Amino acid sequence: MMCPSAEPWPENAALYQQLKEDQILLSDNASSLAVQAFLQMCNLPIRVICRANAEYMSPSGKVPFIHVGNQVVSELGPIVQFVKAKGHSLSDGLDEVQKAEMKAYMELVNNMLLTAELYLQWCDDVTVEEITHPRYGSPYPWPLNRILSYQKQWEVRRKMKAIGWAGKTLEQVLEDVDQCCHALSQRLGTQPYFFNKQPTELDALVFGHLFTILTTQLITDELSEKVKNYSNLTAFCRRIEQQYFEGQERDSAAIAARSSKRSLLR
Amino acid sequence: MAAPMELSCWGGDWGLPSVHPESLTVMAYAKFSGAPLTVNTINKSWRTPKGDLPVLVSEDIVISQPAKILNFLRKQKYNADYDLSAKQGADTLAYIALLEEKLLPALLHTFWIEAENYCSVTKPWFASRIAFPLSLYLPGKMSREALNRILLTKGGPPLYSLTEVEAQIYRDAKECLNLLSKRLGTSQFFFGDTPTTLDAFVFGFLAPIYKVCFPRVHLQEHLKQLPNLCRFCDDILTCYFRLTVSGHSPAGQDTADANLQKLTQLVNKESNLIEKMDDNLRKSPQHPPRKLTTLKLAAGGEESSPMSRLSP
Repeated sequence: MMCPSAEPWPENAALYQQLKEDQILLSDNASSLAVQAFLQMCNLPIRVICRANAEYMSPSGKVPFIHVGNQVVSELGPIVQFVKAKGHSLSDGLDEVQKAEMKAYMELVNNMLLTAELYLQWCDDVTVEEITHPRYGSPYPWPLNRILSYQKQWEVRRKMKAIGWAGKTLEQVLEDVDQCCHALSQRLGTQPYFFNKQPTELDALVFGHLFTILTTQLITDELSEKVKNYSNLTAFCRRIEQQYFEGQERDSAAIAARSSKRSLLR
Repeated sequence: MAAPMELSCWGGDWGLPSVHPESLTVMAYAKFSGAPLTVNTINKSWRTPKGDLPVLVSEDIVISQPAKILNFLRKQKYNADYDLSAKQGADTLAYIALLEEKLLPALLHTFWIEAENYCSVTKPWFASRIAFPLSLYLPGKMSREALNRILLTKGGPPLYSLTEVEAQIYRDAKECLNLLSKRLGTSQFFFGDTPTTLDAFVFGFLAPIYKVCFPRVHLQEHLKQLPNLCRFCDDILTCYFRLTVSGHSPAGQDTADANLQKLTQLVNKESNLIEKMDDNLRKSPQHPPRKLTTLKLAAGGEESSPMSRLSP
């Protein structure tokens, strides 16, 4: 899949995210894991560097972002394009209709799963008080930590209101997550990956979100229970984890699995 | 099942039963599933709700968003997705998400934010349907909400100005239209020969772009370059919306409708065959098994008639 004119992938490529143990939140962890999985699937080596100000260093304000050579690219979509320009692609073998389907399912995950994660983190008062506020501002002294997390909360709530999610109750959001998982489960069926034999960026994205949901401890287990209802999805996560993350001590996924449920409560 | 259902929504113009995408989606779904809805279009009465249309009222239940309305109709046994497999149901959700993320911002922009369009078409049209003095306030509010939504979802860095955001959302919308066109291919509807929820959503989003006459129309021009999507909209309009709004079509019309639909399908299959022959000449496509089957059936049944019609 590598064309001769592509620039080589440097050895010191780095992925930046927030601090793993204390600061990173569910949605950011999911996005970061998705990018890591994608790069693993492309066989491109990357180091994960944790910085408290990763969000501010990122060109688009979102984590994760990668620093390759002298270029900085953030978020999975642009990273996939960037990697493609370097000559590596996971979705070249798909025909046009399958590519359309893949893009549609990626939008489904972003539209429903990611938004639900953001809702749970920033709009559910109990979670906000007990998990999000303490974690988000933890590297900073008081009062900066409170100011930053209130500012972020205000931003996220504005966005939720604009897209119509502010009026939803937690039950409705969990319903939506269930619907999304049901759709993903149906689409996956009994195949090893979404497009049969080879993994694509869709597999990386779904893995990132589902694995994070399954291994993150929140106030209640309702969110991870929704995913656990679908055995082919949990088997899918386990399979990708074993294939792409096993044997790498530094990786968050393997560590998380071995220490069973990783607690995000302080 | 016998409870009367009333739908309040925005009215139509330019050959459409409604110019509002969400109202159009619900109306299309009701036609596809055979739900007997009485459609009330908003005119100058004071009953205008706060711009949150479409609204379905059935006895004491009031439901307001298209997804919830469609769920309600399905629970009342008006289900257009009855024949779909589970995977097709999953595909439906995914494509609807694609429409909302990629196409809706550009649609909102064309209607409510593009200055020429808004001032010369959208605002007068909506204002003429709302009672004074609400007509002075409501269109402006809808426009501000649309701008807000676009900026909050698409307007973060590295896009710092409205023109950059506009360029990005139109690029996304054009890509989305291309993807839809590829997915539709040469079939009648997205999942075979009967329309489903996905067809209702796609029609609801595409028809306003296709039909409403705006001064600034580059999305419409892009859509017109995708003939299968235009044919899709026209088919649904002719087959399912032969009457303009208010009131459901009487039973006698249905047989005439069915005949017209069969005739339209025959004509479409002919043009599809010609398109397919063109495509085959130009390249060697990789059709997924699903598509091949439908084309074979069409070719098998109609092989004799188009050939005889084409011969001089």
